[in-house]
Parts: sequence; structure tokens; C-alpha cells
Amino acid sequence: MTALSGRVRLVTLHLASRRVPLAVVVLLACAAVLRIALHRSWDAYGALQLPLFVETGCAVVIAATTASPFGDPERATGRWLPFLRLGSALALTAIAAGALAAFTAGTPLAGGTLGALRNTAGSTGIGLLCAVAFGGALAWTGPTAYLVASIYALYTQWHGPALTTPWLWPARPSSDVEAAWCAGLVFVAGAVLVMVRGSRDTATRA
Amino acid sequence: MTAAARLLRLELRNNVMLWLLPLAALLFWFVTFRPGMAYPPMWNLRATAMQTSSLAVFVPLVVGAAAWSGSREGRHGSVELVAGSARSRWARQTGSWAATTCWAIVAYLGCVGVLYAVTAGEGAWGGPLWWPAGVGAASLPAFSALGFTAGALRPSRFTPPVIAIGAFLGLEISANFIQGYGSFWQVSPVVANPWSLGADEGIATFYRYLPDLAIAQILFLSGLTAAQLGLLGLPAGAGGSWLRRSATAVTVAGLLGAGAGVALAGTGHLDEHGMIAIPVLHNGAYDRPAAYTPVCSQSAIPVCVHPAYRRYLPAMVDGFAPVLAEVAGLPGAPVRVNQVAAAYEPGSKNEVRIGRAGAAVSGTPPVFNVVLPTQEAHQMSTEELAAILRAGMARDLVQNLTGGGRGAGDAQQAVTEALAHTSTLPPGSPVAEAARRFAALPAATRRAWLVAHLPALRAGQLTLARLP
Amino acid sequence: MNVETSELTRRFGRTQAVAGVSLEIGTGVFGLLGPNGAGKTSLLRMMATVVPPSSGRIRLLGLDPAAYGPRRRIRRRLGYVPQNLGFYPRFTVVEFVEYFALLKEVPAARVPQAVAAAVERVGLGDKAKAKLRTLSGGMLRRVGIAQAIVNEPDLLLLDEPTAGLDPEQRVAFRALLRDLGARSTVVVSTHLVEDVGAACTRVALMDQGKIAFDGTPDELTARGAGTSAAGDAPLERGYSAVLAQVRS
Repeated sequence: MTALSGRVRLVTLHLASRRVPLAVVVLLACAAVLRIALHRSWDAYGALQLPLFVETGCAVVIAATTASPFGDPERATGRWLPFLRLGSALALTAIAAGALAAFTAGTPLAGGTLGALRNTAGSTGIGLLCAVAFGGALAWTGPTAYLVASIYALYTQWHGPALTTPWLWPARPSSDVEAAWCAGLVFVAGAVLVMVRGSRDTATRA
Repeated sequence: MTAAARLLRLELRNNVMLWLLPLAALLFWFVTFRPGMAYPPMWNLRATAMQTSSLAVFVPLVVGAAAWSGSREGRHGSVELVAGSARSRWARQTGSWAATTCWAIVAYLGCVGVLYAVTAGEGAWGGPLWWPAGVGAASLPAFSALGFTAGALRPSRFTPPVIAIGAFLGLEISANFIQGYGSFWQVSPVVANPWSLGADEGIATFYRYLPDLAIAQILFLSGLTAAQLGLLGLPAGAGGSWLRRSATAVTVAGLLGAGAGVALAGTGHLDEHGMIAIPVLHNGAYDRPAAYTPVCSQSAIPVCVHPAYRRYLPAMVDGFAPVLAEVAGLPGAPVRVNQVAAAYEPGSKNEVRIGRAGAAVSGTPPVFNVVLPTQEAHQMSTEELAAILRAGMARDLVQNLTGGGRGAGDAQQAVTEALAHTSTLPPGSPVAEAARRFAALPAATRRAWLVAHLPALRAGQLTLARLP
Repeated sequence: MNVETSELTRRFGRTQAVAGVSLEIGTGVFGLLGPNGAGKTSLLRMMATVVPPSSGRIRLLGLDPAAYGPRRRIRRRLGYVPQNLGFYPRFTVVEFVEYFALLKEVPAARVPQAVAAAVERVGLGDKAKAKLRTLSGGMLRRVGIAQAIVNEPDLLLLDEPTAGLDPEQRVAFRALLRDLGARSTVVVSTHLVEDVGAACTRVALMDQGKIAFDGTPDELTARGAGTSAAGDAPLERGYSAVLAQVRS
């Protein structure tokens, strides 16, 4: 085994232990579902809601991959683990954004590819932060709660008073720089924390 | 305490839904309570808005938590361990599902209780609407069973998040599929009002809240709950043959109930009081107006409103005051301005047309009937309401007195313009000049002339030249 | 000394798990005895660098694990088997051990041999390709030990390593411990005093977060001589006598 093949092997085993291959399949399925759904004509509210659900779906799947089956023995190893965690999160986010962009090309995607990238990254950031705080298994709670708030924020664009804070970025246009910064900041914070600390090992709640 | 109760207590103490309750409370405040409080304190508005928005809060959380609970044995690898116990798998699973559902319902009812208590504290007329709360409460076991079944059948780290988001998507998108009355999709628990209306002040005040759709929804949700729980009892390892036969019966009964709910919802149509009536479920008693004692102003012509709308009375008096001072005591003038129920009918494009039921003026002595703009699904401030009343309904009142409506003569138009204090006539025209002159007369002179000539004016017998 | 601690404490909320432990441990097999909740696992986790101490000082392999660089160097030379070892059930035995070898930065060229050797040393050569989900509890325990020794650690930390092993395996495992202890520091936390008697050159007894006894197994045995302390074996009587003395 050469050094390179050793690293490839390590990455492969790490990804397998986090069920990343299955996560990739689910991400592609999410993008495909969005593609199929966009063939139907939706009212303006539905057209905005639909991608947001799929983007959050991608985010919770990515967050779920952070859970480690090994616990302490893995933490007590060398320097590679943080980079493996970070690489896994970044790669999956890129795959999700890429899949959403590729599958929805030529369809009337509300917010466009930039909006999808922003929302996916932001929600993934929330998921990663929740993984650090509550563990990978319950990391879905944060993005899901944020989705509820975002859907409401979208609703207020029609039935005011409108919520316009950039921290609720899905309710802002994809060209909004402040909203993009907020989403990006959350993603970076989540990625850095999950890299440094990893997802929390919790005594699994019943 | 029985063994089942002890088991449930254990499950309740260790259920993940317990840890999600603060999150649910926070989201309820943000998505349901805060916007609900922005509505006027009316049970119809707050209850129906609550039914729709609170489900968005609780459904994804309860589905995810239930999926997490349902996958417990698979995740812990304890399937074989517990399989060796005397209690059937179905009984174990039901206990775990019940704990998740109990916490969700307790939290939901707590949140609704707070919302209703605050609404009651603000002096909302009438009593709380329980049917919307009932639909919400019946939704939680159904969605909890959905998540639990998914988690039990497919225990994986991805099941809780995917099923939670998927169920939420299904719930929110379901309203998009309603393309008119008679749609089966009306069975979706987020539908509290006619599909094209938002929260509407006009319903459930002059008439009681019509529970037809809520009954169909609860039937559907209960059936769905039973079918899913029954499904868990079907596999070979779920329990003995007696239990599996019972589970089959429960599944079939549940499916039939759910199907009946869907079918009933598909026959729902907009009734004239703004709610969805289902012929098979309809009780004629709900078509009779609800009793109430109107709240009236002390003005020369009393302005009376339904007590649920009492906060609008000052704006109404303000809007009508200039006109009422002019017309009070004139022959044929109304003795009261009375708020009446709105009438709803479906439009040609499936929209809802809202108007006044019956004539503008009715009875002897005459009463002027009005439907407030807020009863027509328009939210507005009291200042906006007063301005609209002044420019619109007050003028209608005068027109009814002078005959100054469509096809009116010049004299009728001029007097109407003068009494209504409006400026709708072409500036500089003879009619506008006559209106200006008439309005400039001393009030006593104008009144004396009206007393003498109003019947002839209303009959269209006067020309512009006969005006003073 | 491979392990040096001074007034080491660790709190979890209001619980004082470790309350001022000072130890110096060199090459050999060091047994850590004590009743449930004595603080053995918390002490071991601090030695494994997975939780930092609340206060006090700890040095491992001559390095301070508080800083990232030294901690990384310690971890390359560390093996750790916790009480509850997590497994990914779809991995084979070799994949599991290989994963940890690569994480511990065993040079890539040496990984296949290191994995094979570790798997052989725990007696799982014939199960190398078996999925973890198909293994018995005792075999899983041995897989956990294999991952801990795959990097030939200078400091090996084992928390209840013999739980679930059959008598034959336990005998073989004690021999393995003695072998490993000849060139490295092995810290074994256990309830089973016979393991200590058979394999350890030195033993400490913990109670309520503190070291109640530190000496050789023979010295511990001597503490029970001539007393009415409970126990079927001399070492057990020594264990009971020390605990009774501390608590009185």
C-alpha cells in the first residue's frame, strides 16, 4: 500500500462508516424529485416553497452523515479525522448543490441556482452546528425548525408585515448580498465546528 | 398502576419528543402566536389561522421524533433482545408511539390553551372554536404514526430527517392541489377555511362555526392513525395470531375511515355563510343565525354592530357621523344602521364572492344594512375603515334616501353629493355647482327643504333648477 | 514515565468523577481496580485525550496533551479500548482495524501487515473477512482490542477489556497483556481482580474519584491477610479490606 492509496483507503472507509454513499443516493433522489415536481405548474407560493423543502432535505441528510459509529477510540487517533469530517461535509454540500443545479437546469426554479446554493449551504450549516451541539442523529431538528420559520417568512412576503431579516435568507431574493453572507457565515461556522469538534457523541436517547 | 401504564410512564420519561418541546414552543410563538396576536381578538380569525400554522410547527417535529422512536430497536440492535420478552412487539411499539404522541398533544394543547386564554383575556366575543383545535390534535397521532411506522420499518440515520421533511412538504403542498370546491384535497388538515380565503372575519360570528369539514378531516386522520398502527401489527413477528388478526381488522377499518373522510371532503362546497358544508354531515341547525345582542352607538341614528365587531363601532360612527347628522329625522331616513352577515358564493373562476345578504334597506321603519369591508376578508386599520365607510357606505345610505344611485337625475346626484360630503361630480359642471350651493346652505334651511321635497326628489320629480 | 498525573480532577456537572489523582506509571501492566462509579473510566478517558481534565496536570509519553501538536504525537502512539466500543456493522474485521490504523497514521506501506498482525494477535485470523454484524460479543471485543494495538502503542488503555471473553480467551488475553507490557505501558481498568493478579505488575484501587491504594498485587493481597474482609481469593480480600478501611 502506497501513501496515496493509504489515504484513498482511509477516505473510502471513513465515508463508508458515515453512510456517505447512501447519502449521495438520497441527495440525487432529492434533486430528481425536485426536477419532476417542477414539471407541474405551481402558484407563486408553492413554487418558492418546493425548492426550499428539497434544499432542507439535502441539508438534513448531510448533517445526518456526521454521526460517528465509533465514539472515543476514533477521537483518540491522529490528525486526519478533522480533515475527513470537513472534507465529507464540503463534498456532500457540493454534490447537493451540483445535483440541484444539474437536475433543475432549464426548469423554472424559484431563486435560481444561486438561491439553491445559498439555501442549501445555509441549512447545511445549521445542521452541522446542531450535529456539534446535539449529535448527528438529532441534527435534523435545527434545519427542520429553520425550514418552518423560513416557510412562514416566505408567507409574510404575501401577507405582511413581511419579515425581511437576512438571517431568514430563504425569504430574500437570491441576489441579496446580506442574506448570502448570513447563509455563508452559518455554513462556515458549521463546517469549522464540525471539523474541530465533530458531531457530539450522545448517549442515544430512547 | 397497571403494567401498560408503567410502560407508558417509562416511555414518556425517555421520549425524545420531550426534548423537542422547547423548540416546538419557540416555533409556535414565532409562527402562530405572534402573527395570531396581530389579528383582532376574534375567535374565528385566531382559531382558523392557528389550525393552519400550528400544524406547520408540530408536524415535522412529531414525525421526526416518532421516526426516531420507531427506529429505536433497530438502531440499538436490540431487536432480538426484546423479541424474547413476553409482551408482543406491537404492544411495545404502541407504547413508544403513544409516548411521542402524548407529549406532542400535551404541547399542542398547551400552546393552543395559551393562545385561547390570551384571546379570551382580550375580550373576544363568544366562545373558543374547538373544532380547529380538534383537527390539529387529531393530526398529531396520525403524523406521529406515519413517522413511527417509517422508523420501525426502515431504521436508519436518514429516516427521521427525510420523513420529517417529506411529511412537512406533503402537508404544506397539499393545499396547492385544491383547484376548486369539491376537491378531495380539502381533507388536508391545514384547510380550515374555503381554500381561496385566508383567515376571514366574516365566518362563524352571525352563524355558528360549521364543523362539517372538520368532522371529515378528523375521520380521515383517525382512520389514517388506525391504519398505520394496524400496519405495525401485520408482520409475523408483531405478535400472536389473534393480535395479527386484530391488527388486520384495525388496518382495514382505518383505511375505510380514511377513505370515507376523503370522500366526504370531496363533496364539500362553499355555503352561503363562508364555510364548507358537506351534505351528508350537514346539520340544519347550523343554518340558523346565532343569537346575539347588538352593540349600538348613542348617535342620532344608532349604529349597531355584532358584538364580535364592537371595536369597529367608533370607526363606524366616525365614518357615518357626517351623513347621519344630515339625514336623521328626514322622511324615509333609516332609524338604524345595522351590521349584517356577509353572503358568500363561488365565482366562475373558483374565487369567492362576498357581499351583503339581502337588501341595503329593509323593514319598516327602515334599517340600513351594511357589511363591513373587514367581513370581506380585507384586513385594515380602524382609520382605513372609517375612511372607506365615509366615502362608500355613507354615500350608499344617502343614495338610498335620495334615489341618487345608478341612473339618478341631476338633482338627485347633486343632493347626494352635498349630503354625503363627497366629490365625485365633474368639477365646474352644473350638477357640481348645484351640489356646492346646496351644501353651502345653512343646515336648518337645507333640512327644511329636504323635509318638504325629499319624497319628490326620491321619486325623480325634481330638476336641478328646483334646488335652492 | 509514560503517564504522569498530578492532582488530576474531572467534573461532569455536579458530579466529581475524579478528585485529585496523582500517579506515575511506567512500562508494564498497570491495573486500575474499583467499584462502579469510582472514576476509573473518567481517568482512562483523560489518559486517552478524549476529555480534558477539569484541573490538575497530566503528561502522557512525556508530552502535554493540552496542546494540539503534542496531542497528535501522543495519539499516534496510543491505543484505547473504551468500555462501550462503537462498531459500524457493515465493516469487515480487516476494514475496521485498517480504518483505525490509517487514522493513527501508521505508514501506509505498513498498514496491511500491521492489520494482519493485530487481527492474528487477537485470534481472529479466520474471521478477517467477516462483517462485524455477524460476530459474537466476545469476538467484537477482540476486534476492539485489535484496533487498539494495530499501531503497536507505547501507551495502551483498556477499559474492561475482558468483559464478554470466554475463559480460554481471557487466559490468552492476559498473555497478550504481559507481552505488550514488556515494552509499553498498559493501563487496564477492570472489575475482575483475577485479571489483575494474573497480568498486572502494579495495581491502583480507586474509590469515589480518589486513589485508595497504589502498589503491587502482592501488597494488595497482604492488606487482606488476617482480616475478615469479604472475598473468595486473597486478592479479593485485599480489595475489600482496602475499601472497608477507606470508607470507615
